Amino acid sequence: MTAAILDGLVLGLQFGLLAVGLTLVYGIGGVLNLAYGQMVVVAAIAVSLAIGAGLPVGLAIGVGLVAGGVFGLLMDKTLLRPVYRRHGEPRVLLSLLLTLGLAFIVDGLLLWRYPLEGLTLHIGGGPVEILGVPMRRGSLLASSIAVAAFIGLFLFFRNTILGRAVRSVIQNEEGARMLGIDPKRVRTFILVSSGLLAALVAITRSMSIPVTVTSGISLTIFALIVTVVGGLGSVAGAFLAGIILGIVSSISASLIGTFLTLIILLGAAALTILLRPSGLLGVPEE
Amino acid sequence: MLEVEGFSAGYQGNDVVHDVSFHVDSGEVVMIIGSNGAGKTTLFRAICGLLSPSSGKVRYDESDITGTRAEHIAPLGMRFVSAERHLFPQMTVHENLLLGAYPRNPDHETMSIVLDLFPRLAERRRQHAGTMSGGEQQMLAVGRALMSKPRLLVLDEPSTGLAPLLARGTYEALGVLRQQGLTMLIAEQQVPLAMAFSDRGYVLENGYIRLEGTTEELAANPGVRRAYLGVT
Repeated sequence: MTAAILDGLVLGLQFGLLAVGLTLVYGIGGVLNLAYGQMVVVAAIAVSLAIGAGLPVGLAIGVGLVAGGVFGLLMDKTLLRPVYRRHGEPRVLLSLLLTLGLAFIVDGLLLWRYPLEGLTLHIGGGPVEILGVPMRRGSLLASSIAVAAFIGLFLFFRNTILGRAVRSVIQNEEGARMLGIDPKRVRTFILVSSGLLAALVAITRSMSIPVTVTSGISLTIFALIVTVVGGLGSVAGAFLAGIILGIVSSISASLIGTFLTLIILLGAAALTILLRPSGLLGVPEE
Repeated sequence: MLEVEGFSAGYQGNDVVHDVSFHVDSGEVVMIIGSNGAGKTTLFRAICGLLSPSSGKVRYDESDITGTRAEHIAPLGMRFVSAERHLFPQMTVHENLLLGAYPRNPDHETMSIVLDLFPRLAERRRQHAGTMSGGEQQMLAVGRALMSKPRLLVLDEPSTGLAPLLARGTYEALGVLRQQGLTMLIAEQQVPLAMAFSDRGYVLENGYIRLEGTTEELAANPGVRRAYLGVT
């Protein structure tokens, strides 16, 4: 049982990290980025190609972060521009359609150009024992990076002027504008951050599971489930939901079997919607 | 300080306010009075850059700000306090106030001036803005605007949704600001409240300015007395 819970924590931190990049973008008045998984994949492929080109791993990871950030920047400056001009439900629907189209295009291009490419980062060394459970070094490193990312995000949103400005636009865009906060800049910032977080997911995930050119859609689905449970637009919610769902899926995998895990996660998400429509820490609609 | 000329604005091509002209001089408190639906909110939103005007000009400090977006007007020292308050509900009172000084952190002096004006906000510092009463939210909306040390405060219906006692309390705080020489433009439908406290005023009816004058002139006008002061 201890092993299942520790595995669940490792998995949950990854779930949480995956969901943050999606939930922040949804916070921009309901921009749903269904190409989020493809952001992760593009960053992973960039790292893999950079390593293949002979770059040291550290530098290759830098290339991946740049690729993720640029992906976000390009989305903000092109595809999402008509989305930002809509408000309410049309914004959600238009973003959903446009980013789904982008997801197909990116998938097609990657499958055509790099059908066999994928990223696996091998973290050497034998397992480390924690509470009597042998844990792989890759999982521990990935979890540490995720924890550091969350601490960084919390500090950023609580304690910096820019962080508070980002939250203000998410909570009340018009109120933010009246204080001189430019939503356009904040949106660009959020999209670039989302791309960087996607790259971080690519890097940490590939420490235990290969990220391949076809991973995009399942990554988006997992991110959506965690985001829905945690509450759309809430960083703390993504963290909490990630941990809970990670433990749920790891325990159910050890008791019932891996084949039902996705069903159980979807069930958990559906149950959350029934009991708390705005998610664990989401903002109820007024 | 603020000069509005031949100004029209509305929604989806239908103008709500037509050919409106008025001005606010430095150090003055000017009111725009009118009943619900007269177009006060539309007028203020368009002046403050939350809505594009269809024609006319707005000059602030001799520079043309017609059609400038709200986020670019706010840094010029003209602050809008909307009737809807537009607070950040999941942030604490303290965080809301901090954001008022964006893009900087406020100095201690400004913070203590605002908290002295609204001691209630000091008591509620750690509370989320969304959980406060209407009166407290109004204090926070005004306090947040003051954090930037504005030179012109534009207030849309500061008494909206407040019980009479709280509405008077809000105006008492605004009176302190007036004594300190802050220039203000106020829209109000509870006319007696605004009259007790402004230098000049304009009457907005069905989107047109019908009357203008000093507060005394307006208070003596039979039409104004009948329509807004409950005198028959």
